Parts: sequence; C-alpha cells; structure tokens
Amino acid sequence: MFGLLGPNGAGKSSLMRTIATLQSPDSGSIMFGDINVLEDKMALRKVLGYLPQSFGVYPKMSAEALLDYFATLKGISSKTDRQAIVKEVLDITNLYDMRKKHVAGYSGGMKQRFGIAQLLLNNPKLIIVDEPTAGLDPAERHRFLNVLREVGTNCTVIFSTHIVEDVKELCNDMAILNGGRILKQATPSQARQELQGRIWTKIIDRDDLEAHESQFNILSSNYNEDNSLNIRVFNDAQPSDDFKSVEPQLDDVYFIALKQDEPVSAV
Amino acid sequence: MFSTIFTYELKYWLKRPATYIYMAIFFMLSVFMAATTAGIFDSITATTSSARIVNSPIGINNLFNGVTILIFFLFPSIIGASINRDFKSEMHSILYSYPFTKANYLFAKFFSAITIVTLIVFTIGIGMFIGFRLPGTNSDLIIAFDFKSYFDAYWLFILPNILLFGAIVFAVVTFSRNIAAGFITVILLLFIQGVTDNLLSDPDSRYLAALLDPFGSSASDYYTRYWTGYEQNELHIPIKEVILYNRLIWLGVASLVFGLVFKFFTFSQNAMTISLFKKAKGERSTKRNFGGITKINLPKVVNDYSFVQNLKATWKISNVEFKYIVKSWPFISIVLVGLIVVLIALSDFGSPTGTASYPRTWLMLRGGSAFVFAINICTFLYAGMLVNRSKIANINGLEDVTPIPNWSLFLSKFIAIVKMQVLLLTVVMVAGILFQLYKGYFDIEIGLYIKELFGLKLINYVIWAFLALMVQTVIRNPYLGLFILLVISIGIPLLTLAGVEQAIFKYNEGPGFGYNDMNGYGDSLSRYLTYKMYWVLGGLILMLIAALFWVRGLPHSFRERVSIAIDRFRTPIAILFVALLVGFFIMGYTIFHATNINNDRYSSKEAEELRVNWEKMYKKYEDYAQPRIIAVNVNMDLFIDDRNFESSGEYTMINKTDTAIDSIFLNHNDYPSTFKFSRENTLVSEDTLYNFDIYRLKEPMMPGDTMSLKFTVKNKPNTLLVSNSPVIKNGTFINNMELFPNLGYNGGELTDDKTREKYDLPPNKLKPQPSDSTALGNTYISKDSDWIDFEATVSTSEDQIAIAPGYLQKEWVKDGRRYFHYKMDSKILNFYAFNSAKYEVKKDKWKDVSLEIYYHKGHEYNLESMMDGMKASLAYNSENFSPYQHRQLRIIEFPSGGFAQSFPNTIPFSGDAGFIADVEESEDGEDAGLNYTYAITVHEVAHQWWAHQVIGADVLGATMLSESLSEYVALKVLEKELGKSQMRKFLRKSLDDYLISRTFERKREKPLMYNDGQGYIRYQKGSLVFYALSDYIGEDVLNGALKTYVEKVKFQEPPYTTSIDMVNHIKAVTPDSLQYVIKDMFETITVYDNRVTSATSTELDNGKYKVDIEFEVSKYRNDEKGKQLFSEVGRDSISYVPEGKEKPILSLPLQDYIDIGIFTENDVDGKMKEKELYLKKHKITAINNKISIIVDEKPTEVGVDPYNKLIDRVSGDNRQKL
Repeated sequence: MFGLLGPNGAGKSSLMRTIATLQSPDSGSIMFGDINVLEDKMALRKVLGYLPQSFGVYPKMSAEALLDYFATLKGISSKTDRQAIVKEVLDITNLYDMRKKHVAGYSGGMKQRFGIAQLLLNNPKLIIVDEPTAGLDPAERHRFLNVLREVGTNCTVIFSTHIVEDVKELCNDMAILNGGRILKQATPSQARQELQGRIWTKIIDRDDLEAHESQFNILSSNYNEDNSLNIRVFNDAQPSDDFKSVEPQLDDVYFIALKQDEPVSAV
Repeated sequence: MFSTIFTYELKYWLKRPATYIYMAIFFMLSVFMAATTAGIFDSITATTSSARIVNSPIGINNLFNGVTILIFFLFPSIIGASINRDFKSEMHSILYSYPFTKANYLFAKFFSAITIVTLIVFTIGIGMFIGFRLPGTNSDLIIAFDFKSYFDAYWLFILPNILLFGAIVFAVVTFSRNIAAGFITVILLLFIQGVTDNLLSDPDSRYLAALLDPFGSSASDYYTRYWTGYEQNELHIPIKEVILYNRLIWLGVASLVFGLVFKFFTFSQNAMTISLFKKAKGERSTKRNFGGITKINLPKVVNDYSFVQNLKATWKISNVEFKYIVKSWPFISIVLVGLIVVLIALSDFGSPTGTASYPRTWLMLRGGSAFVFAINICTFLYAGMLVNRSKIANINGLEDVTPIPNWSLFLSKFIAIVKMQVLLLTVVMVAGILFQLYKGYFDIEIGLYIKELFGLKLINYVIWAFLALMVQTVIRNPYLGLFILLVISIGIPLLTLAGVEQAIFKYNEGPGFGYNDMNGYGDSLSRYLTYKMYWVLGGLILMLIAALFWVRGLPHSFRERVSIAIDRFRTPIAILFVALLVGFFIMGYTIFHATNINNDRYSSKEAEELRVNWEKMYKKYEDYAQPRIIAVNVNMDLFIDDRNFESSGEYTMINKTDTAIDSIFLNHNDYPSTFKFSRENTLVSEDTLYNFDIYRLKEPMMPGDTMSLKFTVKNKPNTLLVSNSPVIKNGTFINNMELFPNLGYNGGELTDDKTREKYDLPPNKLKPQPSDSTALGNTYISKDSDWIDFEATVSTSEDQIAIAPGYLQKEWVKDGRRYFHYKMDSKILNFYAFNSAKYEVKKDKWKDVSLEIYYHKGHEYNLESMMDGMKASLAYNSENFSPYQHRQLRIIEFPSGGFAQSFPNTIPFSGDAGFIADVEESEDGEDAGLNYTYAITVHEVAHQWWAHQVIGADVLGATMLSESLSEYVALKVLEKELGKSQMRKFLRKSLDDYLISRTFERKREKPLMYNDGQGYIRYQKGSLVFYALSDYIGEDVLNGALKTYVEKVKFQEPPYTTSIDMVNHIKAVTPDSLQYVIKDMFETITVYDNRVTSATSTELDNGKYKVDIEFEVSKYRNDEKGKQLFSEVGRDSISYVPEGKEKPILSLPLQDYIDIGIFTENDVDGKMKEKELYLKKHKITAINNKISIIVDEKPTEVGVDPYNKLIDRVSGDNRQKL
C-alpha cells in the first residue's frame, strides 16, 4: 500500500495516469515486476485496477450492466464467470441492492464504490486509485478505506491523496510529491521517527505570528478557540524556552518536505 | 449587461479556430459552386452551354439559399452550443446566481450566435461573388454585379431563415440541454419541409404550400415557377404578397419560439425533461452508513485474452453500443420521420402522371431510396457519437486501462454502425411490405427485399461507414465530423463538374444497378459489385488509418497522435496496410484497364472534341448525292445466354437523283462489321475512329441504277465491366439505327453557338425553315431512304419469341434455336426494331386486323385497357383520316425505360410505363388517375398514321405532324371513350408540364409549327393547341381538313410535307374571325392572362339568376428567349389601368373569342358534382369586361376560359366562387 502525498497540482494524477498507461512520459521507464509498462502496456492492463480522480459513466446503464460490460473488456469470457464476479464485487462494495439502478444517478459515494467495484473485476495485482476520498462523507470515507485496505492485502496499491490522514491510516509506504518531483520517500512511521525531538510547539498571539515566522521555521499554525495560535516549528534543537517538544506527526513530515522544496524566496 | 455578455461571446467565437474553419469551408464551397456553374472547368471538361445567366437575381437566390442549407447543420454546434456551453462546463451553477436578467442573458447569447452565423453566411456571398468572376469563367454566363440580387436573397430569405431555425434550435437546446436534440430538430425540419413540399405539390395547393414552406422557396416559386429564360435572366424576384406573408408568418413563428424560451427559461440547475414513460415514484432511500469490513474473496474466474475472446468481446461491446444507438432520441426520431417520408414516397411512386402503379417489390425498393439520407445521416452522426462516446461520458479513464485491444474497441463501433444500418434497412423493408399489404397486394418478394437491401444496398452504406469512422476518429468532434462528412458526400458527385468523371477516383462512386420484372438486375450487378469491392478495399485502408489514429488514454495533441500513429505502424498493421493498398491499386488498375484501355472511353470533353472534328472532317460531304435504300433484308441471330448478336443483311439501293454517283459514304458504328457492294469499288478512305468510310465506285451509278450492299455486324465479346452488346437476357429491344450502317453524313453536330465559336465552328443553323423548298428531300427519320420493302429473319433461344415488323411467314426450331421469318407487304419507313423475350401473348381482333400483345407473365393488369386503346385508336384514325395500312398491330413489352415507340405495325412498350399502372377506375371514374396506359396506347397507334403514313420533311416543325397529332388523337379518344374528366386531367397535366418545361429551355422556344424538336412543344403544347383548335373550329371541321391533308401527302416521295402544308389545310377551313387562333397558336407563342375580378349573382323574380361577371383578358407574345411582347405592329398594344393600381395591364389587340362559363354543384349520390349552367364563347375586344348572364339555377362558380383551354400561366384565377 503506497501513498502518494502531495498538494493540488503536484503531478500525482499525471504520474498515476502514466503508470496506468493512459499517458506517455517524455522519458524514463516504468517497471512493475517483470512488466516494462511503457513497452508492454497490455501486460500491465491485464493486472491493473485503476480508479481515476473523476470519471463518468454511460447514461441509462445499470451498475450490473455496466460491470458486465467492464468484465467483458477485462477478458472474462464466460457468462457465468462474469455474473459471479459482478455479484461479488457488488457485494463487496455494498452496491448489490442498487445494482439495477442507473449508475449515472448514483451519489458521489456510491459512484466511488462503483469505481472500486469495476477495478476489482480482473482481480488486479496493481491498483491505482487517484484521490478517491475527496468529497466523501466520513462514513463513506471510512468504508472506502476499509475496502481498499482489504483489497490491498494481496496486491500493490498506489494511492494518491492530499489528505495526510488517509496515508496515515492506510499506507505502509509513501512518497511526497510536488512540482513533479518526489521530495521524500519513506514508510510513515520511519518518517515520523526521523523527526523525533525536532518538532516544537508553542501557543502565541495572533499578532505575533509575523515575528515568529521570520524567526522560526513554522510548519503549521492552528487557531485555538480563544483565537490564539498554536504553531509547530521544525528545529533540531529547542528554539527557545517557551517551545515544548511534541510527538512528530505525518503532517509535519509532509510540510517539512514541501518547505524544503520551496524556492528560497526573497525575504 | 447585454453588451458585456454579447461581446464576451463574440470574442469567444472569434478566437476559436472552428469559426474560421467553417468560414473557410463555406467560402470554398461557394466559390467552387459559383465558378463551376459559370463554366470555369470548361477547359478540362465539356463546355457549359446555356442561355441561362448564372448570376441573375434568381440564380443568385437559388445558389445562395442552396449553400446556406448546409449551415443549418452547424446551428446546434454554434447557436445551441452558445447556451449549452454554460451547462456543459457547469458554469451555469455559478453564472445563474449572477445579477443579470434573463433578457440580457438570453438575448446576448442568441444574438451573438446569430451574428457569428451571419458572418459565416456572409462568406458565402463573398465566395459566390468571387467565384463568378474567377478568371476562366465564361463571361457569357455572367452579368455585372448587382447588389440587389444578393441583398434581396439575404434579407428576404436567408436572414429570416437563420432567425427562425436559430430560434428553434436555441429553444430546443436550452430546454433539453443537449446539442444532439438541436441537431435532430434541424434534420426533422428539413425532412418536414420535404414532406410538405411533396404533399402540396399539386397545383391547387400551391398557395398553401407557398405560405407554409419555412424556407420560403415555395413562396418565391409561386411567382417564378413559370418564368421563361428571359425572365429568369432579367427579372428580380417580385417582393409581393405571398412572399411577404410567408416571411411574416415564419418570422412570427421565430419570435413566438423565442418568446416561449424567454417565458419558460429559468436560471435553474436542471434541464427540463420530457419522458414518454411515467416516472417511477421516487422512493426515500438511505444508504447504509455503517457496515462491517467485507472479507474479500473474489471468485476464481478465467481471464482470457486470446484473439477469439477478443472477437467475442468485440461482438458483445458492439451490442452495448448498438443498444445505445437504438435507445437514443436522435435515432428514434430519424427513424420515425424517415419512415413517414418513405411511406409518402411509396404512395406516389411509379406514377409519372399521378396515377399509381401496382406496388411491385422493386418499386417499393426504389421508393425506399427516400431513406438514403436518413441512413447516411445516422451513419455519419453515430460514427462520431460512438467514437467519442467514452470521452463524452468521461468513462474513458476506466475503459482505456482494460486489457481490451484497440482494434476490438474500434471494430465494435464499426459493427454497431453496421447493425444500425441493417436495422434501418429493415425499416425500409417493413415499410414496403406494410404498404403492399395496405394496398391489398400480396405478391411480396421477400427474397428480393433481402437480396437488395441486405446485400446490394448494405455494401454501399458500409463503405460510407468506413469513411465516417475514419473522419470521426481523426476529427474527434462528432458535429464537426458530421458536417465534414456531409460536405464530402455532397461534394463527391460534384467533382464530375470539375472534370473528375471516372468513378474510380471518387469515393464510393460507381455504376448503379437497376431492377425490372422482365430482366431482373440484368448485367448491372457484376459492374456494381466490382466497384463496391474496390471501394471496400479503399474503405478498409481508411479504417486502418483510423485505427492508427485511435486515441487511447488522455487527449493527445495532433502532433502526438501522428507520432503514435507512426509508432503503431508496424507489423502486422503495416503488412495489412500494404496488402490492402496493393489490392486497392491492382483492382483500380484492373477497372481502369477494362474501362479505359481495352475500351474506348471518352471524357465529356473528348466527346465534345470528337463531335467538333467529325463536323470539320465530314460535313463537306453532307450534300453529296447518295443512293437511296429501297429494300432491306436482314438476318438477326440473338444469342441470349452470352448476350451476343450476329447479323447480316442486304440493302438494295437505287440512284434516285438525276446525276451519276461515284462514291458511297458508308457511315457505320464500331461493331466488328464487313461490307460488300455489288459493284466494283475501291475503299479510298477508311476512318476507324468515326467509322466513316468512302468507297469509290469503279463505274458510277447512273440515275435509276441499282446496287446492293451486303453486310455483317456482330458485337465484341462482353466483359465483366463493359457491356458491348444491347442484347439482354430477357426483353431485348434493338432498333436498326443502333446496329446497321447508313449512307452519307448524318449530322450530330454541336448545337450551342457559344461552344461552336470556341472550336472555330460557324454558328449553328437551326434546321431549315419549312418554307425552304430545297430542304424537303429527307424525312426527319432517315436521310438515306424513303419507303422500303422489309424482310427479316430473327433467331433467338428456344424459350423466347423474337419479333420484327412484318407478318410472320414461318417459324421453326433448329439446333435448339427458334427462328422467325417476318415479311412486310407494304412500304415502310426505314425504321424497325427487334424484340426478344419469354413472352405470353394475348390476341384479339379489330375488324380484320389481328391485335396481339406480347407481355411478361405477371403483367396482365392492363391488357384489356391496352386492347381497348388499340381498337379505339384504330377506329378513330381510320374513320377520320385514312384506312390502316396493315393487317396486324402488335404491342411488345420490353423491360424498362418509361416509354413506348411506334414501329410499323409494331409497338414496343416498356414494362414500367403502363403495364403495371393501377388505372382501375373507381365507380364514377372521377377518382381514378389518368389512364395513361390507355393514352399511350392510343398515341402510339395513332403514329401508324402520324409518322408511318404522314411523315414530315427534316425541317423545323416536323414533329408537329407526328407527335402533336398523335397527342391530339389520344386526347380525343380519351374524351370519347373514358369521359371528359380523363380528358381534363390530360389537359391540365399538359398545361402544367408545358409551362414548367419551357422554363428549362436553354436555347430558344419556337412556335409550334416551327418547333425545334423539344418534347414540351411537340407533345404538351401540341395537345393543348390541337384540342383548343378543335374546340374553336369544331372537331369535324378540323378532322375534315386533316383528312384532305392526309389524302394528299400519305406515303409521299420527296419533297416531303411540312407543318406549313398542314396549317394551310387548317386555315382553309377556319373562318376569318378565328384566323387569329391559328396565328396565336401555331405561328407564334402566345400566352393569355385571364382572370375573373368579381362576380355576383342575384335571384330574379322569375326564380332565375342574374350573374354579373367582371373579368380581364389579356395576351402577349413571347419571343424565342421568353421576353414578353405586347405589341406586334408598331405600338398597337392596348392597356387598362385597374382601379387603385398604377401599373397598367397591357395586351395585344383583342378580337378574341373566350369561353365564359357558369357552374353549379349538384348532389349526385352524396357527392357534389359540377354542372355547367352556361358555357359560351364571347367576343372580347377589351382587357376589362363586364357581362350579365341569366341562368336557370343558383350558380356557385363562374369562370373565364374555365377549362383552361388557353395557355395561361396563372390558371387558378380563371374561376371564382360565388
């Protein structure tokens, strides 16, 4: 389970589309196991499950019919096989009751689950999901991540998101991407480990923020209820006495990675 | 706010390349069309010869409107898209919360789009302007630029049409939020226009048609329909009532439509939906928000990526695509409307005279051609829809990563299109069968339906599907693709105008096929299928190109697509591509070789040049004395199975001149032939191109000397692609002019003076005037003979009967072949034919003349009517003119062609003209269409007198003596035997046909007795004139004069008679007061304009009725170009200014007798029938007239020339209801 973390526009989708054979890179190569993806797209497609960031469906087609159609595209020749697997993926994604309804009329969450359902049809070895949790309500998101985790037990999942939380919950490996570059690659726990004792926090007044920004390497700042600010600072040593050491979070890893990549702006 | 949105929209369009692509396409199209009509390609193809000015006001109006029709197909993607863009981009959810008013938004959107369309249309005008004036166009066809012509066409027709159709499309797209719906609307509107046009084509409904035509063309036709060449060249379309009403009506409709949009449009989130089916009641549903983790245990399935599985998958996917097509609204609407069009087409198919034919299956199939447009549009449109479907649905991200190969996806689209075509063709079949059943006709040839629709026609559509998929794949915008495909499909046939004449250079072109009951498809299929196979190869190449450009994954730039295509071009595709290309070229070369190298094929330019050189080389021999053929004896062997003939014959010739003849000019054809003269001679000149050989006689033929010519003629073997023989498997019909040699130079010169000038030929003399006594030596049928003795032996296969003129002397069978020996016992013209087919024979007798009809089994429908026609015509002609010269009369069916032709005692009559006409009368005989089977029969039999007894010299007006008189006889017999109503149908049709046909006259229209051979003069005008004349001077008097004339001239030797001779006979019996009729009708072109202006009736005390009628009578002459002349000698025209008008009505001086009629309606068996209360000729001397007439019954209608016996371009206003 590989998390691809990055802000909007970081190039996550492009990377994933490239891996998913939808786009060709200007240079480079992609290997998945023995498969040279750019040379033998078909071989990858046979083991690939892909869920793009946004997708549409044909109007006036039910989930069942559409999944049957995809099963055909994925090379399942026998009709009984198709029926069996379509039923199973509908069950897994909890869409079985809605199988006769037109997918075009599904809610966002249902559609996303449909996306997972179609992706499972060929029992993929490589699953690529692009920001699947965007726009899902908490229950849906939770459910979605569970399904994904379950699916991910026997195969490789590449999972892109700009929500750090998702990666924390799910991934055992991750990379932070921005501006088309990998800024950091590590397991989530390893990455946090690296920051042990280097993250400091302090509660400040709103008006003092500018002063602190110029002085410290502020990773994030959150308002408290009394309009005071909670800032987190990255520093090898305690910046000053009023800073407290805190347990590093994955967010910190993310922000540090982005910060380090930022062009040095004229101060 | 309006101007902000408006300018924003305009800028948007002006920035888009599509706008300029459209402009460029329309510009080029109009330049091409304008330049072509103006003869720019004359240097590479045949000369455009016409007296018609191409940029006359009416010419500009037609071309401008014609090209503009195409732009309606762009409306959905311009006018529709202007509003739809906001929905599509979901911009509307933001936009609609902005503070602008509905009015601002809608008007700005609509008018910005209209402005863009108007700009594009503007390029058409500019294109035409430039096209007409390109260097190389023929300056004789062009007049100076006239702003008003363009301006009128623009503001009167084009702009209102844009507003109307724009508003409709805008409305549809606004409410449906679907461009396709807008598109369908355009197609439906075009269809509907076609349908109403068809339904309202009757002269009586022209006023209604003029008002209801949304394009306004019927409205301008209302005034210009009968315009002569001069008027078409000179006059502007009159902006008069009907046109203005029409425009106002439709502008009103446009405003109404826009008003409705305005009223019902709301800034809302969702589109209006109309559903045929009741919506299922919405149920409250909540999703399960809690649920456990599922253990995923996918069932084991077999994934098969083999070729076979991919094929199966292709088929399955095509089913999904097919379902999508069938369920989509555009498709359903096109099918429904198309079906209506087909049914309408069927209902008046095969009825050249408004008389239906029995619904034979082949006729149903021909009527089904009305569906061609629908099938093509569906193919073009759905090719685009399917190719772009996953992109439009945004599901391509899911689809493209599946392991299905590209070819499978692509092929599935193709299969789905073909399935759709099969379905559409099934619709044609179902429509045809339904129609046959509805007519109570049960001879339904299912096999023929299937063979033609799913075999022959389907190939044609599949070839279009190849191209459509290619274009749509490359373009990736279904509507632009559709537009381009439409332009291509319309443009390909037009390439002929640009000198690309051979079908192998024009996609999906080639010879067609024809079916008839006697001969089936004949030999047309081998040619048709060869060309189709050639184009299938060509189409497959296009498919491969499309596959190379097939987009998988994210949108690529075009450059990227090219590089991907190059990358994909490797084995096996490359091998396949090369193989197809080689196959295509080999096949193309084979066709080219067969049609061009092994066969003399001439382009139309070459054919023109051949005629020029022929004249230059040989015209000098025209007046060289030649012997006359006096007897012909031929053997004709027809070999039906191989479609060959071998013939031999002997001409006996005599020197009828008073000088010695030293050379024979033998003019033959390119059939392999041999010739042998009975006198010693030397062949001094042999021309293998023109086949004009000169033999010099050793001893000249002295006056009165005879000699003979023995010849053999046979055909070159037929090949798959070239038919070298006129023999067909069943229903051969060949005449002597096609096969046998003749003597002397026989004309065939170019007639157009402009073309002649181009080739340095002197201006073409018309045929000589009938007054030219030196030109009366030949009949208009042959130049090398007068009257001949005739004898022929014809052989054919054993199961056929062969016929030639003459009486059967002997019939025998030898070596599996059947022989017939015919001999004529009286003199005939040198004009005979051979027929052979598997015939049934019906026999009858009229006095001692034996009557026979040789017909195709199954065509028994009208044999009685034909027999009756033969008898009635024999009776009428022999009673009124002279005895019948033969003891036998035969009608012989041949497959198709829509005509009959009279040979001595033998009348070949085509199977599709009359044999299958449904002329059964309803009980009162009123509703039946014109019994044209009967009319043609009478006409052709009359030719036994009027051509085969009385034949005119080869001068102007000769055909009046044959065709006009035969028409007159047909009309009289029709009136006598079948009733007045049949006669009136005949006359009405003659009048309309004459008036319409003369508008197409490209050269000159001459008066009847000097006519130049035009059909509309000798047939239609001839029948009108002779009928009117018999009405004026009396049938007996006229026939009496004709009888004297026939006595004088029948079977005469040269000099031959002329129209002057006949007219003089008629003049002699015509009273002085009516001599003007002869002048008007025979010697000049005279047109009346008669109308009732007001009519009232008052009941008198004695129970009678006094009818006051005010009416106008005027007449004018036309010169040969169609210009109106109101005076003849000096300025003798009379005039009258109607009250309230400024322009006077002009007329030639009047001393005319005109019918005034008063009618009432009586109830006869529940039907209102017209009854004459009064009908009398009144002498009219002024334009405006008032008369009072007392009648016995309450009148309902009055009329001046109420039966339209006189030629009058507006016949509808001759009567007025009270």
